Amino acid sequence: MNAFRFLPALGKAVVLLLFTGFVLGPLTVAVFGGFKSNGELRVNPFGIPQQWDFEFYAAMLGDPAFWRYMGNSLIISLSTVFLTLIVSAAAAYVFAQIRFLGSRMMQAYLLAGLVFPFATAILPLFIKVRDLGLLDSYWAVILPQTAFGLSLSIMLFKTFFEQLPKDLFEAAHVEGCGYVRFFWQFTLPLSTPILATVGVFVFVQSWNNFLLPLVVINSRELFTWPLGMMQFRGEYLAEWNRTLAFISLTILPAVAFFIVAQKYIVAGLTGGAVKG
Amino acid sequence: MTELAAPGLAPSMRSGRRFTSQTSALLLMLPPALVLFTLFVALPLFDAAYYSLFKWDGYGTPTDFIGLDNFKQALGHAVFWQAVRNTLIVLAVSVFVQLPVALGLALLIYEKTPANTLFRLIFFLPFILAEVASGLIWSFVFDGNTGVAAALFHALGMEPVFILADRHWAFAAITLVIVWKYFGFHMMIYIAALQGVPKEMLEAARLEGGGRWAIVRHVQVPMIASAIGVSVFFSIVGSLQLFDVVIPLTNGGPSNSTHTIVTYLYTFGLTRTRIGFGSAVGVMLFVTAVAVAVLYQRQISKGGRS
Amino acid sequence: MANVELSSINKTFGAVETIPNLTLSIPHGSFTVLVGPSGCGKSTLLRMVAGLESPTKGSIAIGNRDVTHEEPSKRGISMVFQSYALFPHMTVEQNIDFGLRLAKVPQAEREARVAAAAEVLHLKPLLKRKPAALSGGQRQRVAIGRSIVRNPEVFLFDEPLSNLDAALRTQMRVELADLHKRLNATMIYVTHDQVEAMTLADQIVVMNAGRIEQVGSPMELYDTPNTLFVATFIGSPRMNLISGQSAKAEGATTIGIRPEHIAVDDANGIWSGRLRFAEHLGNETIAYVESDVGEIIIRLAGHHGLKEGTLRMTPDRLHLHRFDENGRRISAVN
Repeated sequence: MNAFRFLPALGKAVVLLLFTGFVLGPLTVAVFGGFKSNGELRVNPFGIPQQWDFEFYAAMLGDPAFWRYMGNSLIISLSTVFLTLIVSAAAAYVFAQIRFLGSRMMQAYLLAGLVFPFATAILPLFIKVRDLGLLDSYWAVILPQTAFGLSLSIMLFKTFFEQLPKDLFEAAHVEGCGYVRFFWQFTLPLSTPILATVGVFVFVQSWNNFLLPLVVINSRELFTWPLGMMQFRGEYLAEWNRTLAFISLTILPAVAFFIVAQKYIVAGLTGGAVKG
Repeated sequence: MTELAAPGLAPSMRSGRRFTSQTSALLLMLPPALVLFTLFVALPLFDAAYYSLFKWDGYGTPTDFIGLDNFKQALGHAVFWQAVRNTLIVLAVSVFVQLPVALGLALLIYEKTPANTLFRLIFFLPFILAEVASGLIWSFVFDGNTGVAAALFHALGMEPVFILADRHWAFAAITLVIVWKYFGFHMMIYIAALQGVPKEMLEAARLEGGGRWAIVRHVQVPMIASAIGVSVFFSIVGSLQLFDVVIPLTNGGPSNSTHTIVTYLYTFGLTRTRIGFGSAVGVMLFVTAVAVAVLYQRQISKGGRS
Repeated sequence: MANVELSSINKTFGAVETIPNLTLSIPHGSFTVLVGPSGCGKSTLLRMVAGLESPTKGSIAIGNRDVTHEEPSKRGISMVFQSYALFPHMTVEQNIDFGLRLAKVPQAEREARVAAAAEVLHLKPLLKRKPAALSGGQRQRVAIGRSIVRNPEVFLFDEPLSNLDAALRTQMRVELADLHKRLNATMIYVTHDQVEAMTLADQIVVMNAGRIEQVGSPMELYDTPNTLFVATFIGSPRMNLISGQSAKAEGATTIGIRPEHIAVDDANGIWSGRLRFAEHLGNETIAYVESDVGEIIIRLAGHHGLKEGTLRMTPDRLHLHRFDENGRRISAVN
């Protein structure tokens, strides 16, 4: 290998490793930090722990509140995913399969949600949720999250459904299969890639959501983990190691989930981006 | 909604049973989406426009009509303008720092090799982590007692500076976290676009005698122009709704110097139960977002013609 | 009795009139092939019989029952699609069984019928496979299996062989002909391939621009094409058309003569021309001649050592077709 080829390769490797350090540095610091005593944290914030102290992680794992936060987040996220998939796939199916007066108008209406940020209507949303008597309940998070996820998922589903061969519907139709049955028996089973993509995407958004639960949930019993974590940070201001242990324990499942589902996350982003 | 599927609209709807099959599908499958969207997305938007004309704490019905006073108040509030400025700074950093970085990295690793896949995953990882967790991690890194800053100043033999409590540095620190969190996302957009450029085109350019840099400049970047547009669009929308990262880092402080529009709306609207005022800020945010989207659409259709 | 009657059918898509006014009678038990260039309305016609499209005007009857507004599944028809339209997430067995299950046929009978269809079409070993694991010919058979299992009175085929390679197409043609003989059902078959039409049909319907040009048996169409369109559409290489003085001499605007009805005969040939090119196919020789009456194609049996240069030809007057200025046949060759 001559210098002309070697130097660019070396440069590329250096750049990539620098950015890898930039990305992973803070994460390893957090994971290690959870093993350090406050004294060590002060003198050795970044290195490998000289003394591995499992106390803080153990305390977190033994804290029922921690598990409750995670459980609440899980319930809310799974419900949001389920509801979003059903509701938006059904709507997208109607738009893709049936011609009817007002179809274009309704699509434009539902897709308008793509345009503006969630936060613009957060205050009236709070009032609406309160007036519906949903404040401080799982539904207060699940329903608005689903509603705001509809635009993107309807768009992704509709694009996918339109690419399914038209012949399939006609063949099923000749055999006596109606619209609703076709949706359950054909469209959904044949759409697993897009269902997975949208599902994973909605799950991540819901799992990480902070603003909405912050506004509509008050009681600690119902806190999702981001709320719990902020609460915890407030209570243990002086003890970074405890907070870092908490953060690390939430990062690890996220990383594991990401590695398993990254294919779908990337597909959802780029799919949405290309069409967006 | 039955009248929507009136017979004769579509030729294929004439036959009797298909008509009922279509109608029942319409009646069963469309309303859930319409109801949810109307209730939790559309109505709150109209409510925001309405509430913004009142001085209202959110209890009872709004009666204290004050016209455009809420808007005037916001526009006369120095912190509001600071939030606008901060949003513009985030946007500038996104476009002038993050975008080139993301594009450069994408060009380095867009080809499908195992090593590239690994780097791609690593760089993308921060994007899927919760903003709140990211913010907390970085607030530890920036911590004046224990963080990088502390170690750095210690090494230089200086007094530690609490970066996040420093008016001059706090927001710069926030933009660094934003780049950390989102550059991988933009990189992914570019990678997807670069992979869509036909290989033959690159090979043809090489046969014509184009060097690596010439190919990047004259073939690859022009070919992914629409992806760059998408990435800029996401940068704008992202900077307009920035909230989660800021709260754990600075919570808008010190002395309200690091607010974004949404943290401003949250802090001065919701936590002080000034629903009317917060709604007015929301309306302005909405109008901006729609304007951006419309401009973007227009730009796209222009690009499509040329 | 499953005769199919199409009466005064009109089909308009938006502002485009695909089929202006069409009446067609398909007798019970016939194998009727609708043939014509793409866009001639043949597929639309088939889809109207299936119930996938509704006619804008006119009516459709199957077995003397008006089905114009009937659901496809209630018409006693079944359809094989060009793409086969097999359900990719179902096994071969489930694909074949699907319609029976929807029709709520009792389990035991369903199993028997699926088994019988699998037997006839040699699908037994494939029943548990999914369509993706099948070859083109096997998919074709499954599609046919799905349509015969319901015992329809009328079978509809929409260009079913166009996705197969040439060898398989020939084989499937034979199998379809067999199937027709065995089932004794009415079959309506759409294709743009005139060879398929000639070999399969007992009745061919030649369509052009939404109109029927001619209906008849393959040999009728070949021997006595009613229009210039049919004359050139049926037969390969296509019929030679000659206009001008020679046509006028025959009392026609255009005369047509098939390539095999021209003899090369250097002594007394009435037309002369220059051989441009000859294709030697072994069993026959196709000659392309630039002649004084225009471009002429000649088909000669067997090997034929044609010399470069001028040659003289004589058309067989018994097989001369004469057409008037509207492209209609002038009957009775004198």
